[in-house]
Amino acid sequence: MAEQVIKPDLEFVKGVMAAGGDSLKKCYQCATCSVVCKVTPDKNPFPRKEMVWAQWGLKEKFQGNPDVWLCHQCSDCTAYCPRGAKPGEVLGAIRKQSIKQYSAPGALVDMVNKKALLPLIFIFPAVLLAVLLSAAGTFGIPEGDIVFSKFAPIRFIQVVFTPALLFGLAVGAVGMKRFWDDMKKANKVYSGDFMTSLISTVKDIAGHNRFKKCNENADRFTSHFLVFYGFVAAAIATALGVLYIDIMGMESPFRLGYGTPVKIFGNLGAIGIIAGIILMMSNRFKHAEKLGGAGSYFDWLLITIIAVLGISGFLAQLSRIAGVATIAYPVYFIHLVFVLSLFIYLPFSKLAHMFYRGAAICFNKYSGRE
Amino acid sequence: MEKKFGVYICKGCGIGDAIDIEKLSNVAIKDMKIANCKTHDALCSPAGVQVIKDDMKDGVNTIIIAACSPRVKYEEFAFAGTITERVNIREFVAWSQAPKTEDTQSLANDYLTMGIIKTQKGDLPEPKILEDLTSTILVIGGGITGMTAALEAAKAGQKVVLVEKEAQLGGFANKLYKKIPMGAFYREPLIVDTDIDKLAKEVESNPDIKVYKSAKVAKTDGQPGLYDVTIDSNGNSTTEKIGAIVMATGWKPYDASKLDYLGYGKSKNVVTNIEFEEIAKKNNGKILRPSDGKEAKRVAFIQCAGQRNANHLPYCSSMCCATSLKQAKYVRQNPDATAMIFYIDMRTPGRLEGYYKEAQNDPGVMLTKADVTGVSEAASGNLFVEADNTLLGEKIKVEADLVVLATGMIPTTREPQEYLDNLVKEAAKGDDAKKAYLESTPKPEYILNLAYRQGPEIPSLEGAYGFADSNFICFQYETRRTGVYAAGCVRQPMNMSEAQEDAAGAAFKAIQCVDHAARGVAVHPRAWDVTFPDPMLIRCTACKRCTEECPFGAIEEDEKGIPFYKVNRCRRCGTCMGACPERIVQFKDYSVDIIGSMIKSVECPEDEFRIICLVCENDAYPALDTAGINHKQIDPSVRFVSLRCLGGMNLVWVADALSKGVDGVLLLGCKFGENYQCHFVKGSELANYRFSKIGETLNRLQLEAERVTMMQVAINEYDKLPDMINEFVEKVKEIGPNPFKEF
Repeated sequence: MAEQVIKPDLEFVKGVMAAGGDSLKKCYQCATCSVVCKVTPDKNPFPRKEMVWAQWGLKEKFQGNPDVWLCHQCSDCTAYCPRGAKPGEVLGAIRKQSIKQYSAPGALVDMVNKKALLPLIFIFPAVLLAVLLSAAGTFGIPEGDIVFSKFAPIRFIQVVFTPALLFGLAVGAVGMKRFWDDMKKANKVYSGDFMTSLISTVKDIAGHNRFKKCNENADRFTSHFLVFYGFVAAAIATALGVLYIDIMGMESPFRLGYGTPVKIFGNLGAIGIIAGIILMMSNRFKHAEKLGGAGSYFDWLLITIIAVLGISGFLAQLSRIAGVATIAYPVYFIHLVFVLSLFIYLPFSKLAHMFYRGAAICFNKYSGRE
Repeated sequence: MEKKFGVYICKGCGIGDAIDIEKLSNVAIKDMKIANCKTHDALCSPAGVQVIKDDMKDGVNTIIIAACSPRVKYEEFAFAGTITERVNIREFVAWSQAPKTEDTQSLANDYLTMGIIKTQKGDLPEPKILEDLTSTILVIGGGITGMTAALEAAKAGQKVVLVEKEAQLGGFANKLYKKIPMGAFYREPLIVDTDIDKLAKEVESNPDIKVYKSAKVAKTDGQPGLYDVTIDSNGNSTTEKIGAIVMATGWKPYDASKLDYLGYGKSKNVVTNIEFEEIAKKNNGKILRPSDGKEAKRVAFIQCAGQRNANHLPYCSSMCCATSLKQAKYVRQNPDATAMIFYIDMRTPGRLEGYYKEAQNDPGVMLTKADVTGVSEAASGNLFVEADNTLLGEKIKVEADLVVLATGMIPTTREPQEYLDNLVKEAAKGDDAKKAYLESTPKPEYILNLAYRQGPEIPSLEGAYGFADSNFICFQYETRRTGVYAAGCVRQPMNMSEAQEDAAGAAFKAIQCVDHAARGVAVHPRAWDVTFPDPMLIRCTACKRCTEECPFGAIEEDEKGIPFYKVNRCRRCGTCMGACPERIVQFKDYSVDIIGSMIKSVECPEDEFRIICLVCENDAYPALDTAGINHKQIDPSVRFVSLRCLGGMNLVWVADALSKGVDGVLLLGCKFGENYQCHFVKGSELANYRFSKIGETLNRLQLEAERVTMMQVAINEYDKLPDMINEFVEKVKEIGPNPFKEF
């Protein structure tokens, strides 16, 4: 192989260590991790090589590197690491660096995931919403029956949240494209048909096939599955809502006192999200000792957003049924704040994994490496 | 001494079940005419021992105990002022033979006969205690090892003389900017002051330590307890009376000019680890590079700069990996700087693994396994390090401001050894070659300047790479010059804390040595032995074999070439006894005649095979004991005769045995050559040399060469040994009986 000039970057090393990979330097390259990993390809397996690259601050090696995204952090490697280097955690931290690289502007990744800025992360969308709602003239607790659209009209929701989601998706999509191009540049494409790879990727994701390979932390399959399909159900319910109200001109399928199939479906999604996220949290504490900690700030920020989002949404519904307006509207407001957070921080939080991991899995198939 | 004999036969541990004790008693009583023969169920019990003690009250002073191996129960069977001979009928007979057969019986009978003959022929030894002994310890070298040795010896109550060649104490530690902290755990800070000046002060203020600085040992004459050591210091010459010597002269760095493939000499910014220390020390921790005084922020360390490389140093210098980690921490005193370490293997043995882990945790200390293929110049005085087979995945090239070569250690003993070895080689070619060598080769600095016939320094040893080592397996600190104990890096590459442990060990060996000299006892490994070689010089032909072959240089010659012993240098191995063609060397309980008589006493019936097996007491004998403990069966035709060292094997024994009708002779020595294990360094090798001359004897007797064999055996090979012996017996049986039986 041709000689390559490497440029160690101390700042990159420090960045990975600060992002939850503080055990990075303990690695002494025995490669136990690559041996026990169930999801790594046999050729040039990870995470051993990623560990030494990160130790040397070779950030260019991570440009267009699909392997850090092939890792699902099941932490088999961390459990078996003889030196406590926690490759799983380190790869998680490297993924954060990767998100920073591809989700523009990357500086937002650090800002969103900075502990010191925690209140700001939520104050910003809260103030934004409050200002917009005040402008719409609906900010406050309305009189009469509890109808959330009195507080935040459907049109308002559509006008504010649709662009927020589109923004998140667009940034993510641009990042994904850049990542894809970098992967093509960095890795010789051997074979593979794009469409076949894509279909196979969708199948993998839908079936959570890669999750099933984990040993140490198999519970993660269930929790991620619940949250994932919870969101899918919620998204479908929302889309149906739009269909009912805007296209078919019908009454809201979510109105009080009616158990429409759409509403039941949406509620099942909500239960999936809440049950899944609670399971996810308990798993993290349950396995913390074996798997080298309950996770980084980066992990917990996303978990918190989803947990608050799910629980506040459900509570808002319950308090609406109970008819306690002073609870229902504020809780609904919180729910909206967290939904908005989820959307605008989508490409800058851990949720960005949906773009990059998806791309990496697909590229791995596309390049014929798998 | 008028000998009054007593034979005591133990029946315990299965002996009584395997051997007919009455028949065995008759060997003593009827054949050997010793009426006082007693048996006991457990001779080692207080009641059993009392039987012997009661007899001693009646004047018994020559005690033959037929029981277990002499390697056990030696406290129970220690009877001061007597000749006590242990006959091993437990491990050698009861535990390794079929019970109550005729073969087993005759084996036990032969052993008892041999034991009785040994006591009949031998005499009670008296220790030889020389006059005017001194116990002062000389420490050569005032580095961390030497200073520690001096302090440890002084703390143990000895007077100490310390000789340092530099103007101040401290040795290599003086050059260091910082050292690796010592203690149970390694935590930041990973670099601490050496405090070598404090140690130096402690040494210099100790009233029991006399320090010579800017000094050299000009001459070492005499023997343990009686050395006259001439010390040259600042133009003065002083002679000190010395008891024993700790050699702590340390090491020199490998000559980096031979490392041009790593860029040394081509760029000023390629330095050795020693030069790097000097840079750090001079600038108080700032790493200013030699070419332009600019601070080096990217420093590459290349491990094994010559070490573990057949063209340079074939061995590992042990301390360089930890040293580079330490020096990486110097670099990291600047938080923006990086230290890159390229290693073949990180070798941080023992607790230093903790140091490795701690240092590695620093984000700016970067490590990779690599074969560094070259160092080339980059722009503005920078360098490219090129490496193959790295963990980073391929051939890489990385730019550095400064490259540090982790060079290795060369013991200070190596240059004198090489010089002297080459001198011997040239001298063998003739006087002209010798003269030319002396004129053309600069004489290196000698360390001991021994006034010994065998030369002024510790002799070189195959596989020791010039280190002052004599038996790396069993006895550290021992050298091949009794009374001289090597400590620290002159003995083996090591770090500072290991050197301090070493220093204490060597100091105690030196103290032990003067103590043994005061009591007239040999030093390790025969540390109980009061016998000494006492040759019948009237028959000496001045052939010089003994003086040349003594592994410890214990024998000198007078002006007529007649040898004389410096007895305190002697380790009682008896190699001289094996060397002497006139067979005049003898000890009170060990001589050519004693062993020969024992061998000749073995019955050689016409219809049976008899094999004599001469056994080294240090490795083969314990291995045979262990085989016995494991009840491994050994052919009953074999009689083991224990030798202090196979180097003492005299060919006349083989000739005598064969001419008497013994069918085969087996020599069991320890391993020699590269992985030698001989307790006397050269014994089994010399035995092998002598064995190679056995052809003449066999030719003369018209016997087959295969009847005599030498085997090398290690102490742990007890499981293989019985098969090795049995196979030899089978081979001899195939050849057939010795025709001399009929005579």
